[in-house]
Amino acid sequence: MKGSERTGMVAVREVVKRYGELRALDRVSFDVSEGEKVVIIGPSGSGKSTLLRSLNRLEQIDGGSIVVDGIDLYAPATDINALREEVGMVFQSFNLFPHKTVLENITLAQIVVRKRTQVEAEAKAKALLAKVGLAEKADAYPGKLSGGQQQRVAIARALAMDPKLMLFDEPTSALDPEMIGEVLDVMKNLALEGMTMVVVTHEMGFAREVADRVIFMDYGKIVEEGTPEHFFQNPTHERTKLFLSQIL
Amino acid sequence: MADNDRVRPAVVDVGDGAAIPSKSDIGLFTAWRFAFFGALALLVFLAASRPDPYLNILKFVPDGILVTFEVTVGAILLSLVIGLVTGLGRISSNRFINGAASLYVEIIRGIPLLVQLFYIYYALGRFVHVPDIASAILAMAVCYGAYMGEVFRAGIQSIPKGQMEAARSLGMTNGQAMRHVIVPQAFKVVLPPIGNEFIALLKDSSLVSILAVADILRRGREFASESFAYFETYTIIALIYLIITLFFSKLIGIMEERISEGK
Repeated sequence: MKGSERTGMVAVREVVKRYGELRALDRVSFDVSEGEKVVIIGPSGSGKSTLLRSLNRLEQIDGGSIVVDGIDLYAPATDINALREEVGMVFQSFNLFPHKTVLENITLAQIVVRKRTQVEAEAKAKALLAKVGLAEKADAYPGKLSGGQQQRVAIARALAMDPKLMLFDEPTSALDPEMIGEVLDVMKNLALEGMTMVVVTHEMGFAREVADRVIFMDYGKIVEEGTPEHFFQNPTHERTKLFLSQIL
Repeated sequence: MADNDRVRPAVVDVGDGAAIPSKSDIGLFTAWRFAFFGALALLVFLAASRPDPYLNILKFVPDGILVTFEVTVGAILLSLVIGLVTGLGRISSNRFINGAASLYVEIIRGIPLLVQLFYIYYALGRFVHVPDIASAILAMAVCYGAYMGEVFRAGIQSIPKGQMEAARSLGMTNGQAMRHVIVPQAFKVVLPPIGNEFIALLKDSSLVSILAVADILRRGREFASESFAYFETYTIIALIYLIITLFFSKLIGIMEERISEGK
């Protein structure tokens, strides 16, 4: 996979985001190529979630530029909805629509945004539910599902839009420990299929196993980035070593 | 934490309607029974023991009950529409729309209902010829629409931010997200306060009796001015209002329970 003809999917340049005096993002730059899996780690408050959320403009930025799939996100003329169709997002708190069944959760945007027919959308939804191992839950309401099941539905919901890029914002942080595995398994399968993924997580095992590249952030800056081997075996920066010693 | 938020939507406590009895509030529940059946019993007793004037009043008033319902139901439906538009306007990021909606709410809330009724009724009468009952409904709806607007605004704002983010991240426009994701959830949250508003409106509809609309109170006044039985008439009028209001507060309470239990 790690060939030379990868094309750029994400290009982040000198991005700055301020909350008052605090610099949540401080001149952050990085790239993601097509098919690449990038894992962003760092202590809480390091800006990693803010960075991820800015990749589909859920955050406003105060400087720099972000280009996703050839589209400049923060250019005034950009149709953000068109871009968001191509970028799937999975949230820490799942954010399933509680008033809709699992199936409706997955068909809604397909019908409303992608203009698919009910039949097409349901076929797609059912296929994806089978893929995440929840075929029998199609008619259940999210409130009746466990956290792990809800998160797998949320992944299916994002995939139903046929995204080119998937963003995961601490997808397992709100889960009970015994449910983390089932969600990570779905994500690993997705990675094997070649999906371009940017994942913010504390799951170091996942980073080690799946990531092509690991980015370590602290105080709104990218401190270090490299392959998992480099990262977990010989990190160069003191901050990285300290963080890894605390978390591993 | 996050799970609890989802299961139990936030309670929006807006409105000045009658107390809606819930089974958990034993005191109020008992009081409801006492008041409802007591009022019914008293009504029957009065009509049976002194048919003149009580039974005569009871025979005279029912036309007015129908009118009161027409005004109440008409005004509540219209005010729901006005309220939804106003509520969406109040949270709009468009400064003009937001300003217009806020101005409407501020003006309406600053003027007594009775004054508004007179004003809209006579203002309408000056330019167009609409039936009395139509202008009464319109006037009530314009007033209650402002309160409904605040109910909807609070209801929409009580939906967790993640819902909008999830909808937008799937490529929905703001309008699509509102229509398919936020507003349907908000409706459930605003049902109790809307129930309160309905009962408050039912009672306030007695004000239209001043506008040549033959509602319960108006019919009572007509009867009283002919028979001079003022005390007896208003006793019956009060009992009728009480029974209707208590009946609906109970019905709304049951509906809410159903909705919060089931999906």
